[in-house]
Amino acid sequence: MLFSEVATYLNSDLQGDDLEINSMNELSLASTSQLTFAVNKKYAKELTSSKAKAFLIPQDLVEFLPEYVSYIICDDVTISMAYVTKLFAPKPIDFNALASVIGKDTYIDEMAKIEKGALIGSNVTIMAGSYVGSNAKVGNNTILYPNVTIYRDCIVGDDCIVHAGSAIGSDGFGYSHTKIGEHIKIYQNGNVIIEDDVEIGSNSSIDRAVFNSTLIKKGSKIDNLVHIAHNCEIGEYSIIAGQTGLAGSTKMGRNSVFGSQSGVAGHLEIAPFNTFAARSGVTKSIKDSGKTYAGFPLTEHRLWLKTQAKISKLNSSKV
Amino acid sequence: MKISEIASIIGAEFDGEDFEVTGMNTLKEASNTEISFVSNSKYINDIKDTNAGAIIVDKSTKDYVQNGSVALVVEFAYWQMATLSKYFAPSIEDDTLAKAQIGEGTKVSSKAEVANGAKIGKNCMIMAHVYIGAESVIGDNTTIYPNVTVYRDCIVGNECIIHANTTIGSDGFGFATSKLGEHRKIYQNGNVIIEDDVEIGSSTTIDRAVFGSTFIKKGVRIDNLVQIGHNCVLGEYSVIVAQAGIAGSTTFGRNVVMGGQSASAGHLNIAPFTTFAARSGITKSIKQSGLTFAGFPLMEHRTWLRLQAKIARLLK
Repeated sequence: MLFSEVATYLNSDLQGDDLEINSMNELSLASTSQLTFAVNKKYAKELTSSKAKAFLIPQDLVEFLPEYVSYIICDDVTISMAYVTKLFAPKPIDFNALASVIGKDTYIDEMAKIEKGALIGSNVTIMAGSYVGSNAKVGNNTILYPNVTIYRDCIVGDDCIVHAGSAIGSDGFGYSHTKIGEHIKIYQNGNVIIEDDVEIGSNSSIDRAVFNSTLIKKGSKIDNLVHIAHNCEIGEYSIIAGQTGLAGSTKMGRNSVFGSQSGVAGHLEIAPFNTFAARSGVTKSIKDSGKTYAGFPLTEHRLWLKTQAKISKLNSSKV
Repeated sequence: MKISEIASIIGAEFDGEDFEVTGMNTLKEASNTEISFVSNSKYINDIKDTNAGAIIVDKSTKDYVQNGSVALVVEFAYWQMATLSKYFAPSIEDDTLAKAQIGEGTKVSSKAEVANGAKIGKNCMIMAHVYIGAESVIGDNTTIYPNVTVYRDCIVGNECIIHANTTIGSDGFGFATSKLGEHRKIYQNGNVIIEDDVEIGSSTTIDRAVFGSTFIKKGVRIDNLVQIGHNCVLGEYSVIVAQAGIAGSTTFGRNVVMGGQSASAGHLNIAPFTTFAARSGITKSIKQSGLTFAGFPLMEHRTWLRLQAKIARLLK
């Protein structure tokens, strides 16, 4: 798509030369053929060092642009950015894709649906009611139990097991909010990548990234009814027990363990080999490895036990 | 169904003039051809304003019935209401209905199932393994991802997006419990109405109303794995983040925000523009608009922060 078409769509003027854009990305990752955006002065430094050639920016960031780039000035970049994601959103189904490719000894139930462009490895089992979207990939020896939905462009590795009713690659929960309280959809144009030897329980949801990928690394085990939001990264061999929820863009190191019904805020970094007891509520990044935490607000597990003992004593005290 | 038949089903005496009863409803909503019930002395005041043609009551409430409503007196009104609900439950599918109507430009996967009597608008995308039940209505330009189930009689507006494996219109969780602790199903004979421009995430469930409608208003955004109980009303542009749960009959004003894993009790009224932090547990109605709450028990967010600081200091 030409950048001038984006300008027309936004009803704005293009500053600088017209150029071809193939997708959108965040400021720090955008390449020369991608459109990116900067919301406010907090991003001034990243803006100056960006490789991108096409930008959506507010007026007061023009002076921080790199040389020889094109840009559109927006009153509210977050709103304009949300509108533009729609231009780059792939359709739910790619009807023009090539025929799907199915490997040797793979069983696909006649009540399953494999869209065009999907690549299914060998010795795979895909049970009734499961769906593999356009251009999605499912690796060798993987099992999809009934009613699993793999959205388009998502990748599931070798030797994985996905239990009934799980959804891989649904849209991340991303909107820009207008002044009168409406929510403008930010189309989620990334995907989900699940590496090898991952098991996912039933009725879990793993959302696709807004740009780039939500990543579940090798050997991770995810229980039932778990929510993993867009752009999360789950380290190798991590364990996530039932009903846990992770908000967007949180990254955790290898062998992270979350007890049932834990919750993790967005944009955190969790060091490897940490354990979180059931019902933990994690709201800050964790830098040290090898510790065990509990509670909400989160504390080290042994401190949580002490606090609970004191709280229960409060109950029997006279004040 | 005739009122005399109803009386014999629930074991009440009736010797007045017979008439046709068209449905069941709450005291407030019932018309003069509908039957209602009083199971709790809290609702005695609603009896005098009701238009219900008949009311199932027990001995303690029968004398409050007036205005020409017929009183059907039973030992345990709630239990008999549950008994009767089964007789008004629509059939799950209905082959006598006309073939589904599909609008121009709409794509329905050959592996989707659209029941007789359903209507789908223009330019929709209905993907594989989707089920649209009898007499359901889907508006224009709506996208429904794989494995979504829309139960019968439910309505989805224009420009909506429903993500994979979500269920719209499953039965609300309603039972009458006997003195012996057995549970009798209260058939959920209402529906779900979703207005325009609503997006719903994956594996979320929105239960149908027992009577009337569960109501999701214009511009609402619902994340993954959310539970919305029967007869809830979500106000315009409300946002419900993942794994939140709302018990039955709770009503939100517009632009209410519920953080992840938060939960609300049933039968509450929440003022518009209220925000609940993640993990909030809401047990009381909120009258004042524009505040932010947190914690369980619920308190204003800044109070919660102070309390947590005090709890942390207990250790020192």
